[in-house]
Amino acid sequence: MKTLLELSGVSVSFDGFKAINNLSFQIGEPELRAVIGPNGAGKTTFMDIITGKTRPDEGRVSWGEAGISLLGLSESRIAREGIGRKFQKPTVFEAQTVRENLALALKNPRGPLDVLFYRGTVEAAARIEDIAARTGLEDCLKRPASELSHGQKQWLEIGMLLAQEPRLLLVDEPAAGMTPAEREKTTAMLVEAAKTRAVVVVEHDMEFVRRLNCKVTVLNEGSVLAEGSLDHVTRNERVIDVYLGR
Amino acid sequence: MLRTLLACLTLLWLPLGAVAQDLQAFLQSHRSDIADPSRRTIGMVIDDLVALDPPGTAAFLQAWQAKDIWVRADDGLFFRATRKSGNLLALHDIATGDRVADTVPGDALTQVKPNGGVRRLIGEALVRFQLSDPDIALRRDAVNAIANGLDRSQIVPLAASIEGETDPDLKARKEQLLTFLEARFASDPADRISAIEGMAGALSIEVRAILNQILAKDFEVAPTLPEGANIATILTPGNGLDRDTAYAALVTAGLARERIGADILRARLEAHIEGGAVGGVPVARLDTQPARERAYAALVAEGKAAPLVTVAAVDAALETHVFYEVYTEPDSTITDAARAALDQIETRVAFSQVADLTLDGISLASIYFLAAIGLAITFGVMGVINMAHGEFIMMGAYTGYVVQLFIPDYTISLIVALPLAFAVTFGAGVVMERLVIRWLYHRPLETLLATFGISIMLQQLAKNIFGTQARPLTSPGWLDGAWVVNDVVQISHIRIAIFLLALMFLTLLLVILKRTRLGLEVRAVTQNPRMAASMGINPDRINMLTFGLGSGIAGIAGVAIGLYAKVTSEMGADYIVQSFMTVVVGGVGNVWGTLAGATLIGFLQKGIEWFNPSNTLAAQTYMVLFVILFIQFRPKGIVALKGRAAGD
Amino acid sequence: MRRSFIARHPSVLWFILCLALFTLLVTVLSEAAGVGGLSTSFVKTLGKTLCLCLVAIAMDVVWGYCGILSLGHFAFFGIGGYAIGMWLMHARTGALVAESLSGNVIPPTETEIGTAIANQIFGVVGASEFPAIWAFSHSLALQLLMVVLVPGLLALVFGWLAFRSRVTGVYLSILTQAMTLALSLYLFQNDSGLRGNNGLSGLQNIPGYEDTPQATISLAFFWASAAALAAGYILLAWVVSGKMGSVIRGIRDDEARVRFLGYHVESYKLFVFTLTAVIAGIAGALYYPQAGIINPTEIAPIASIYLAVWVAIGGRGRLYGAVIGAAFVSLVASWFTGGGAPPVDLGFYTIQWTDWWLILLGLSFVAVTLFFPKGIGGLFDLLGGVRVPWRVGDYGPGKGAWRQEEGRE
Repeated sequence: MKTLLELSGVSVSFDGFKAINNLSFQIGEPELRAVIGPNGAGKTTFMDIITGKTRPDEGRVSWGEAGISLLGLSESRIAREGIGRKFQKPTVFEAQTVRENLALALKNPRGPLDVLFYRGTVEAAARIEDIAARTGLEDCLKRPASELSHGQKQWLEIGMLLAQEPRLLLVDEPAAGMTPAEREKTTAMLVEAAKTRAVVVVEHDMEFVRRLNCKVTVLNEGSVLAEGSLDHVTRNERVIDVYLGR
Repeated sequence: MLRTLLACLTLLWLPLGAVAQDLQAFLQSHRSDIADPSRRTIGMVIDDLVALDPPGTAAFLQAWQAKDIWVRADDGLFFRATRKSGNLLALHDIATGDRVADTVPGDALTQVKPNGGVRRLIGEALVRFQLSDPDIALRRDAVNAIANGLDRSQIVPLAASIEGETDPDLKARKEQLLTFLEARFASDPADRISAIEGMAGALSIEVRAILNQILAKDFEVAPTLPEGANIATILTPGNGLDRDTAYAALVTAGLARERIGADILRARLEAHIEGGAVGGVPVARLDTQPARERAYAALVAEGKAAPLVTVAAVDAALETHVFYEVYTEPDSTITDAARAALDQIETRVAFSQVADLTLDGISLASIYFLAAIGLAITFGVMGVINMAHGEFIMMGAYTGYVVQLFIPDYTISLIVALPLAFAVTFGAGVVMERLVIRWLYHRPLETLLATFGISIMLQQLAKNIFGTQARPLTSPGWLDGAWVVNDVVQISHIRIAIFLLALMFLTLLLVILKRTRLGLEVRAVTQNPRMAASMGINPDRINMLTFGLGSGIAGIAGVAIGLYAKVTSEMGADYIVQSFMTVVVGGVGNVWGTLAGATLIGFLQKGIEWFNPSNTLAAQTYMVLFVILFIQFRPKGIVALKGRAAGD
Repeated sequence: MRRSFIARHPSVLWFILCLALFTLLVTVLSEAAGVGGLSTSFVKTLGKTLCLCLVAIAMDVVWGYCGILSLGHFAFFGIGGYAIGMWLMHARTGALVAESLSGNVIPPTETEIGTAIANQIFGVVGASEFPAIWAFSHSLALQLLMVVLVPGLLALVFGWLAFRSRVTGVYLSILTQAMTLALSLYLFQNDSGLRGNNGLSGLQNIPGYEDTPQATISLAFFWASAAALAAGYILLAWVVSGKMGSVIRGIRDDEARVRFLGYHVESYKLFVFTLTAVIAGIAGALYYPQAGIINPTEIAPIASIYLAVWVAIGGRGRLYGAVIGAAFVSLVASWFTGGGAPPVDLGFYTIQWTDWWLILLGLSFVAVTLFFPKGIGGLFDLLGGVRVPWRVGDYGPGKGAWRQEEGRE
């Protein structure tokens, strides 16, 4: 397993408040990783830094075999490098159909002229059908995304991420607001996805994390508190102090 | 009988005026000059009379100037006469003014009618008397007369009158004028230089004008620089001096031949058309400049025209002559002193101008602050842009106008108008918020357009009610006038009042926002509306109140702006864009941001106007361009919320 | 498997059919080619209206589809008008000058003709030389290129600056308004080189066609406007359909999400902004020869706001809505302000529509934004029996995003 993404010594502060403090993090490919931590631990900022939304004050973020730096790249460029992100609140394009949503995400040249003269191909249509099937949306392709249920929107978003064919997937609280059955399905999708790529799941729900059955990183006050299997970190005194116990 | 009386009077005067010659006697000795004056001779007569100064001279000169002097035909005596009914005259003694006769037929006397030139000379002579007249108004007039036309001859009388001057202001003014006169006309160069150096402290336009008169110069051209002339500058053609201008000066001075331009060339060709051709070139072919020049060259060869002045000839002429500016004042020590004094003054004027510009900038910034702060508050709290904000300003101004229709006392009406304008626009704001904006909170772009709809409605409504012509909003007397620091720095009282008003509102808003419950809630809603709502704050109420508050301040700003600008239905539109700029540059939802934005925009506008005073349109264009570029570097304004609160 | 573009978008076909029928009708009724039921000035009004419809669909694409409320598109429209006006004025003045100089004994030189033309054109602003921006005004081809290039380049530079610094929503609207204001203030100056507030005039006289009656010219321009509208409609319908439309609607509703999908949002916005600016410029170049005069007042920010008003009243997010809005509002406006509407006597007060029309417009505008966010075009949904969407919150966090009230299937 090679290292795909490496953050080292990253710090960022907002108006004097240190949201991320000397954070170092590594993930390989393929790998499934859960990131947990109390509120304000810097989980969202951590994702913001990787996806280029927030520029860190110091530190390095290197990507891929060549170890190129992600700092200074635009969000869209980082996304094209192969990093997909799923937001906490499902954000799909409600005014468009499920098919359009998936087509939008499908890995294809992203330049305005490429898109303007884009002609749908049979392979592309097949890919969309395939992803729809994998996310359980095969019957909804023609419906506007606004008509989907909350869980379906979450799956659509995961489907869009898969369509992007990223090498690294950042998923923010995928299970929030789902029924137990929907969670089961979501877990399966993520585990399946992690077989071929790196997946980082930020989650609150311990039960969900346990089901993912993967390495866990605990964040607190902007830096890594502990890392290891779920059983390992839950036995850690400091983790119990700041997060689990109280 | 008259003659007896006159003799008696003369006798009465004798003890007093023993040394002085009698006025009538003096006049009699110059009778022909006075009765039929010519400019050439009368000057000396008047000078003699003034030097002699017999009693009653001043009154006589005045009457003479007013054409009130008559000569009796039978004995040639001079009288001051006033016209009674019809052709009858009342005669007064020339020296004492006592009435001599009541009704004398006009045809027994001849009126002395000095012409305009003579009357001016009389006036100048009169000034010397008036300078020491007991009546201060006359003395002031005399001093002003001197100031309006400085003349060599005024030095002595002015200097003489200073000692006896009782009024300190007038005395200072007389001394100042004397300095001016000495600087320009004193016969001893040392006196002039010391006078010029004495002027260096002042910075009035008058002083600068005097110095510039001393430094007056002529543009001249000559083969060589004249010896001993007081040269100001030597100019080089092509470097600070336009080559065409230089050559034209040579032509005017008769030192070079006039160039034959395209127009003259064509005229000469037209004059020499022979059989459809000029100089062998057919007329139809003369539609290019080279062809015309060829034809002209042929004419020259035939000796029918003067040759063209070649470029080389022009170069040579410019090369062999020297162009210079020479002072009309021949003494270089004096021009040097004047130059030094003027430089010193101009430095101080420059400093004063900067101070004046700063004051102007502050006052403009205050206006923009008042106009924009309401907009900034509503934008910050609710994220909506109120395009009708300018119309609220207008509404406030019209409220002030209507109040003045009912309350004639301007001070009281202003005191009533300010709170009333606040109340009216507060009400209008709340109504608009309740009826329209409330329903569009999460559609900011639609709010912009809906409020624009309201804006054109209000504007047209004002036009329908008040008409299209501007309505006056008169400021009370104590706001008229200006605070004058010196000749350069001054600022009108209204602008000071607006500055104080802006300061007051700044303080008031800061107190409201930082010290009251309402302010706390407003800040909470600004920073996180959802969180605020869950803390039990009613965002609806806060929105309504802030919108009312923002609109109310616009109303107050309207009254303030109306005091110095005209109240029209379109006045709001003039301020709305500047207000937007202020908000955009300053940053949203922060009083200090708006203050910074208003200051920047105000100073910038004044600064650009200063560089290019003739063109206010260009100033506005550049300002807008600046704002667009500014946004590049600080997209969120000067005072921006950072981090998560920015909510992007 | 793929159906044709027209088949997928039947509204385009319907629109072109309606436009063709309308053109035919006007032609038949015109003085130049038909029975003469329509006056020449009314044919001109209709031709101008078609140009306004063209700029309105451009506005609809940039606002209704891409979510950028640009208050600058009428400025691009005006620039197009100025660009063509410069050639028209130069050529026409040139013809007049040639006529007056032909009486000279000696034929005039190029320079003399140039100076005479410049004197004629710029005498009103006290200048007698051609400013640098008139360098191409002698050539129709170059000036036609300017119709496209100048608005395009201005939009490109301004858009690049604005989008690059991530200015969005209301801020962006204010900024575009500022740009429009700066442009109109600049043109108001006498030394701007475009005759200050006099503007360019006499544009209805087409050089080379002095002997052709205005009735024929007006009909020709009407046809050209109709053709341009049809072409513009098809082009923009093609752009907003398919994947491009999908991306720009995505940008409207949630810009950040599109960015995280790997699309360079700024390029797309810039593409839409520039393309629509060019179309606006072309519309302006067709409009002003029919209007006959252009001056800086036409470019003032308020004109661009009216443009947004037309689109909103017609219904944004659908091209035919923008056409309906522009045609309806501008024709109704000319009916009211031209004194066509009869005054209403209320007994105590008589409503003169020239005074009250703006109030009516403002009021109806507020009413449309409040109660009919889908505009007149929304009526077509009722005809088609479109269901009200369900389970929809607002469509996205974008400041120009569609809101619940505007959603449709």
